[in-house]
Amino acid sequence: MKRSLWTLILPVLVVLAVGLYPLLTQQDVHRETSFTLLRAVALAASLNIILGFTGYVSFGHVVFYGLGGYVAFYLVAQKGWPFWSAVLMGGLAAALLAFLIGAGILRLRGAYFALVTIGVNEAMKAFIYNFQPFGGPVGLTMNFAVYRAYGGPRAVLWMTYHWLFIVTLIVVVVSYWIRASKFGLGLLSIREDEDAAEVMGVRTSWFKTWAFTLSAFFPGLVGAIFFFRNASIEPHDAFPLHVSIESIVMVMLGGQGTVIGPILGGIGYQWMRVFLLTNRLLKNIQLAVAGALLLIIVLFIPAGLVGWLRRRLPATRRVLL
Amino acid sequence: MKRLLWLSVLLVFGMGVLVGCKKATPAPTEAPKEQPTEAPQAKEIVLTIGFTESKTGRLNVSSGRQAKGLRLWIKHINEAGGIKLSDGTVVKFQEASYDDESSKDRVQELYTKLITEDNADFLISPYSSGLTAAAAVIAEQYEKVMITTGAASDSIYKQGYMYVFQIYTPASRYLTGAIDMLKETDPNLKKVAFVYEQAKFSTAVVEAAKAYAEEQGYEVVLFEGYPSDTTDFGPFINKIVESGAEAVLGGGHFQDGSTFARQLYEKQAPVKAVVLLVAPPEPDFAELGEAAFGIIGPSQWEPQVQYTPDGAKELGIDWYGPSNEEFIKAYEAEYNEEPSYHSAGGYAAGIILEYAIKKADSVDPQKVKEALEATDVLTFFGRIKFDTSEEAHGLQIGHEMVYIQWQKDDQGNLVKQVVWPKEGATAELIYPLPR
Repeated sequence: MKRSLWTLILPVLVVLAVGLYPLLTQQDVHRETSFTLLRAVALAASLNIILGFTGYVSFGHVVFYGLGGYVAFYLVAQKGWPFWSAVLMGGLAAALLAFLIGAGILRLRGAYFALVTIGVNEAMKAFIYNFQPFGGPVGLTMNFAVYRAYGGPRAVLWMTYHWLFIVTLIVVVVSYWIRASKFGLGLLSIREDEDAAEVMGVRTSWFKTWAFTLSAFFPGLVGAIFFFRNASIEPHDAFPLHVSIESIVMVMLGGQGTVIGPILGGIGYQWMRVFLLTNRLLKNIQLAVAGALLLIIVLFIPAGLVGWLRRRLPATRRVLL
Repeated sequence: MKRLLWLSVLLVFGMGVLVGCKKATPAPTEAPKEQPTEAPQAKEIVLTIGFTESKTGRLNVSSGRQAKGLRLWIKHINEAGGIKLSDGTVVKFQEASYDDESSKDRVQELYTKLITEDNADFLISPYSSGLTAAAAVIAEQYEKVMITTGAASDSIYKQGYMYVFQIYTPASRYLTGAIDMLKETDPNLKKVAFVYEQAKFSTAVVEAAKAYAEEQGYEVVLFEGYPSDTTDFGPFINKIVESGAEAVLGGGHFQDGSTFARQLYEKQAPVKAVVLLVAPPEPDFAELGEAAFGIIGPSQWEPQVQYTPDGAKELGIDWYGPSNEEFIKAYEAEYNEEPSYHSAGGYAAGIILEYAIKKADSVDPQKVKEALEATDVLTFFGRIKFDTSEEAHGLQIGHEMVYIQWQKDDQGNLVKQVVWPKEGATAELIYPLPR
């Protein structure tokens, strides 16, 4: 079956719709809502590279987010680097960490890999707690003069939004490229049967390491952007395990292993959380309602939204990837 | 069968929503009680106080108490008929609040919403320094005054923010009073040990205290952090004993602090004074029994503290707001629990805003900000005065910590006594520890 160009256009359109809305309305509150949505999309879509395409469940996605955040924050706040170069370094530091540890831990499979990724998160947190240049347990705080150099807090909040928008678009395009490429095919074969893939000539360890590295680069960028606009970073905030878990949930809700799935999952999940948190009637029981909704979704559409659509409506298979 | 399953799930969910609605309706956060109405002789305006509360997550107890204190103030000021300005305007208040889930993830989004959609006129900070730092960026963006309570870290106020005002004594002065107290009580004491939780707040506190202790001529014989989840303090206590420390300062939060105190007692560590953060002022600390006896702790406020209008007169500053007894009585009547310093901090944040609006005789944010900068006032919570220098704008410089010690009453029951500063003391310090 020939793949339609819509498989790329649709995901990009969804991200454009979310990202451009605040730019058109110029409303701060829309910017903040879209920031949360885009952040979720970027985290979920990057996690999908290792989780959905390659079949390795990682609870350590937030390590790269936190490390990227720390490296960039340190460079901007303490060393006076320009924002763009610090963000890039944040992403590269995260990718480098993934490359180095990936070679070791990607030998493990299934539950063992998942367990080790939790360990990596804790180890990194412990390291940062004791690493004085990053402020140890106290963390780092941004001086307002840095913001003034960028035109004050308002300009910074918009600038970081533009950055996140671009990063999210890149994640989606890269995600599509992987899925459509021979590299992606190799990853899918690893997911289905790693030993068989090896026998068929796929260089599994090389493929896995690069998938892991790519999947770590983007949360590094997102963390760098997020903590810069937050004006402070500390170990407790930088490595919250729940962000990893939420990312997995978003990927599963949308449909793992698909390009558009994590995007829809990320937007849907975050939209639901914000709606429940700020709804006058439901805000006091928001966690209970969110739990009930998730339970229902997982019970009835375990393959995620995209998987369900593709199964129910075969016509969508040409446009949903 | 499948249809039945669907139906039952939908039913359960529907019921959940209904129960939620029922529960949510009487919540104090709902629709404003006072609608702006035009009285024939006076114009009434209703200002919105915006804040987030950690209803879920690790900060929910302290944050909840803070919000309770603040809500009580809103209730009181509205019942008292609001603030009357000289032009006849009556200012009343309502709240707009959301759950921040004790996480930084959405703090900025929620504060933007509070300002742009709920039209909050003044802001109160979330609980904890980390969340407050994130909210401060938004407050600055809109040039909204934000009174912070429950955010003791110094660093937020040293970044050049102009609209953020701190109610709490900053972390750097949490333990300095204890060092003064020890110096006055026992001039021969020379060796001190710092053993503290490796967390943002406690590390900031002990680093400042260590510098102060050295300045005062003390020898810091041990300076060591422990991980937040430590349960066995044996190795640390051995080090304390080996170092020959005469006083131990440190701790972090409730769990680790109380375990540390218990094990110090069990091992009969030969130290003359133990000062721990956060845990001792909590009423539950008494459950340690004998191990709690003699332990000292710093607190932002205690029910026993005595700040009075006479005290204000002596200092030559204004007195404002209810007395300590009035606050405690009203709080207990409203919530059926003893107020903690978090509750008092929430109420005090409201009182200070009220005072500033009155002084400014206006609700214009710029004028209120100027009034806050000029504030030097004594309240039931203590003295409030803000740093107005460019380097540390909004930092609290008037408020002092009080130090409590667990002692015994005539019946032998453990009771908290304020032992420092001397002006507000309710009992003499027990020194050295009877071990």
